[in-house]
Amino acid sequence: MNGGFWAMGGYAQYVWPCFALAAVIFAWNVWSARRYHAAARTRAARAVGVADSEGT
Amino acid sequence: MWKWFYKLASPPFVYDTAAALLPWFAASAAVALGYGLVGGLVFAPPDYQQGDAFRIIYVHVPSAWMSEFSYSLMAVAGAIALIWRIKIGHAVAAATAPIGASFTVLALVTGSMWGRPMWGTYWAWDPRLTSELILLFLYFGVMSLRTAFEEGPRGDRAAALLSIVGVINIPIIHFSVVWWNSLHQAASVAKFGKPTIALSMLWPLLSMFVGFMLFFGAVLCLRLQAEILNRERQSAWVRNAVKS
Repeated sequence: MNGGFWAMGGYAQYVWPCFALAAVIFAWNVWSARRYHAAARTRAARAVGVADSEGT
Repeated sequence: MWKWFYKLASPPFVYDTAAALLPWFAASAAVALGYGLVGGLVFAPPDYQQGDAFRIIYVHVPSAWMSEFSYSLMAVAGAIALIWRIKIGHAVAAATAPIGASFTVLALVTGSMWGRPMWGTYWAWDPRLTSELILLFLYFGVMSLRTAFEEGPRGDRAAALLSIVGVINIPIIHFSVVWWNSLHQAASVAKFGKPTIALSMLWPLLSMFVGFMLFFGAVLCLRLQAEILNRERQSAWVRNAVKS
């Protein structure tokens, strides 16, 4: 990649932050969804454990 | 037919379907986004008026489309849950809201970044920008309302009602550039006629849109699975799913 590409015709300070923010938003979506899913599985597993110990 | 409809909306069926679709959505999203990014950043020529600043559209336009699509999906899911008492609708709406809100933030910020060199300002109280900002507040309102009640079902119903009322904002966003004098440019792609954008710029944009859509699908699958687990954790099928 040459310098012209990164300079974006003088608009680099506007173009690259937009793509960087998009990357952050995508990463946040993946991270938060995985975290939420893991927490839900843990809660469900705990509920299963409680139900099993109560013999239901 | 109704029996089939209810079976289709049953939590175990949706949970398994979401689990099966997730890797396909994720892999397809990576391909579409890769093509769109390379095509948009490297191969598409600079715009004759906007220069390379136009490349911001490759994240701005798909995120704006997705913000409207997500909200519409959330409202439809809420309506289905309210009208036919299909509880998976509330789970779909709850899973959609944070994804849609994040795309709305992206659309607003990237639009603002594009506005600075093109309009000379980061923000103007233009009908399109203002209605998109209202959309973000609606997302926050729906998410807050869902968690504001101690009883989950009451929160679900209140959130569904707000999302249905708020859906009036979607045509306002879409047609604001037609109905009022707007700084924002009119649609270049979503026209019934021929697009007013060169094909070398259009294909990467469409690819980015497909990529955003598939990414949304992948994240929705994961969030929906979590929502279903949270709501159905006392069910026998969840017990089996968690143990396996």
